[in-house]
Amino acid sequence: MRIANLSKLFLGALLVFGLLGVNDVRAEFPEKPITMIMPLGAGGSHDRNARVFTSVIPQYLGNAMIVKLMPGASGQTGTAAAAKAKPDGYTLLFSHNYFDQLQKHVKKLPYDTDKDFVTVAKLNSGFFSIIVRADSPFKSFQDLVAAAKAKPGTVKFAHSGNWGATHAPALQLFTEAGIADKIVMVPYKGGGPSMAGFLRGEADFTMQFKSTILGQGDKVRVLISAGQKSDFKGVPTFKDLGYTADIGQMHRILMAPRGIPADRLKKLRDAMAAIQKDKTYLRLVKAIGEVANFESGEDYEKRRPMQSKAYKNMIKGLASN
Amino acid sequence: MFEAFLGGFGILFNPETVLMTFLLIAAGLFLGMFVGALPGFTTLMAMAILLPISFFLHPLLGIPFLIGVYKGVIYGGSIPAILVSMPGTGAAVATTFDGPPLTKKGKGRKALETALFSSVIGDTASDIFTIALIGPIAAVALLMGPPELAAVLFLALIVISATSSGVFVKGLLMLAIGLFFAMVGQDPIGALSRFSFGITSVESGIPLLPMLIGVFALPEIFAGIEKKASQIVSSEGLKVSGERLTFAEFKSCLRTIGRSTVIGTTIGMVPGVGQVVAAFMGYAAAKSASDHPERFGQGELEGVAAAEAANNAVNGPTLVPLLTLGIPGDNLTVILVGAFIAHGMRPGPQLMEDQGSLVFAILLSIILANILFLFIGYLCIPFFAKVVTIRKSFLLPLTLVFAFAGSWVFRGQPFDLAVLVFFGVFGYVAKKLHFDVTPMAMGFILGPTLEYSFGQTVTLAQGDLLTFITLERPAAAAILALTPLLTYLMWRRNNRLRQRFGEGAAH
Repeated sequence: MRIANLSKLFLGALLVFGLLGVNDVRAEFPEKPITMIMPLGAGGSHDRNARVFTSVIPQYLGNAMIVKLMPGASGQTGTAAAAKAKPDGYTLLFSHNYFDQLQKHVKKLPYDTDKDFVTVAKLNSGFFSIIVRADSPFKSFQDLVAAAKAKPGTVKFAHSGNWGATHAPALQLFTEAGIADKIVMVPYKGGGPSMAGFLRGEADFTMQFKSTILGQGDKVRVLISAGQKSDFKGVPTFKDLGYTADIGQMHRILMAPRGIPADRLKKLRDAMAAIQKDKTYLRLVKAIGEVANFESGEDYEKRRPMQSKAYKNMIKGLASN
Repeated sequence: MFEAFLGGFGILFNPETVLMTFLLIAAGLFLGMFVGALPGFTTLMAMAILLPISFFLHPLLGIPFLIGVYKGVIYGGSIPAILVSMPGTGAAVATTFDGPPLTKKGKGRKALETALFSSVIGDTASDIFTIALIGPIAAVALLMGPPELAAVLFLALIVISATSSGVFVKGLLMLAIGLFFAMVGQDPIGALSRFSFGITSVESGIPLLPMLIGVFALPEIFAGIEKKASQIVSSEGLKVSGERLTFAEFKSCLRTIGRSTVIGTTIGMVPGVGQVVAAFMGYAAAKSASDHPERFGQGELEGVAAAEAANNAVNGPTLVPLLTLGIPGDNLTVILVGAFIAHGMRPGPQLMEDQGSLVFAILLSIILANILFLFIGYLCIPFFAKVVTIRKSFLLPLTLVFAFAGSWVFRGQPFDLAVLVFFGVFGYVAKKLHFDVTPMAMGFILGPTLEYSFGQTVTLAQGDLLTFITLERPAAAAILALTPLLTYLMWRRNNRLRQRFGEGAAH
């Protein structure tokens, strides 16, 4: 009787988790749920986006896509696991351009992202903007650059952790502006803590997503923002001031281990393209404050070598300082 | 402010939706408690998996549902900690001091009920306090930066070592070992590899969950095996689910619960330390204030009450930075941010101004969740308490299976099982040599955060640490000054205890 109770508990737990994965058995790919490895922790913007699109995609794929969080070692733990997986289309990786193309120039990795992964699709991009507090003396990004050049080591920047989502683009920008060695870079454990540190006055400026900035109302001022067109009225983009247009964009990309059969890759790419017209998906994307600037896997593949080159030059520039 | 509060009351108890809100909170609590009770499933994982459900619900249904899950999982996590000494998170470690000894005495049910009542009281009191003082708490939270965090963590580690069983120096030694284990892998700031010897699996550090299970649960199993088989199958432990908590016992814990609530609420204002530190501070304070401190660690209901009330009292203030500044206080509130944003509410100063009523409605729904939990938890406890009434000869192997299964579902990596076994042996040897593993586990859990916040402080100070701390960060300086004083007091107390009750008593 007591053992029976215990096994009931076990069975109940199995049921609860079994229900979360929809099992729709078909002869063609995918016959079973697909595992999507995310090399990042729970609760960040990647997690949010993943939850949104994986809740819609089963309709188009005919089977579920299950998010598997594998954070650690700045993305290496999860990426390495995906690189080692069988290239049968049942294991995918949800990553971003800095893990994909920048990290290899900074440290030795147990995998080669170019040889090990092919793009299924770019889901969307997160656009960063640079902000100061409302009482800051800096009225424009040029003011900030001038101040950093005049007094090196006095202007502090709060970012989301070394080689993280806001550290890399900021370095790229500072390198182009010629102030990379003049700014004090203060690391925080993620975007939220960097915002808190900035609001406490520990840093003079920071880089954040639009959704975070909007919540602060008139307490902060946007100096410059990423993208083709500014998200904020009267604020210039990086491109407007002559910096590389791609700066400050974090591309959220779905990758498959290279060697995946062509028909399976096509099926995945088609499903990702199809959800872009799904009403529920579009509503949820808008609700979480993202833009649906989808890009096909084929197009994104062309971008990867260009990104790699730009990041390599940036790192070289930093090392020679 | 008061209008917004009344508005929130109106929104939450809207006759059309109120029943559905109740049901969803109850469902969240129930689901969360079961997930939390399974070793290997963390609160973070459960919340992340259930988040999409809230996307498709009205905010006042979806968010309370997630809050229900949150509370349920936290309590669920203390169930294996009490019954089989298997803490799933750092927050439940302090509960393993008195929980398992109580279970061994056949008082498992009493311990679970004490934990339930203490959690609910600690949480509810801190929520009410939070609603009343949301503005001042937000102001305090904004003052707590990396230097203050580093100072609080330093103080906490010393207090933890001093309250561990046995000799103070042994506690400090275990703390140092724990801090060393925390350094294995990439350093938190520069991401450079340390002590990894080129092994890819440890690049991301030693995983916490297999280590906790290994160091706390496996030695208990080994110790159980050591006993004679005749003792193991004795019919003594076969009584049905154990006795209920009496009112007199509950009353004797009330002072402790009150003290722990105050401690937990205060610590909750410092973002980033939260439940782990609160549980230990609450436990240490209860032990110091008690007139029979020698009974702590031997199966004392007050010990369970102290830890559980303190770690749940953190919950109220943790939400404040999220609601008032838009900055999540811990990993779990980060998930709540997702739910907020999905419903078009951007956490931040604007939210309080634009949708103050909704914010208060959510805070009130937290209190509602607590009250509901009192009933749901109370009804479920006999079921859980029964688990340990099965024969010891079945329970021990089952616990072992759960230990391995829990370590496996955590990340699904074979390496984690090796970690489990290594720390199981480590814990067993430490037990035999009368070393308390708690300071080691705490050094390991809090070490990386301490290192990170210290690194940030050095960057902020730009080399001149002393001037920076004393002139610009008086709060951090005050906490640092307090540390040696508190250490001395605790050391002296510990010494006296040992003189009075002998070597074994000073746990």
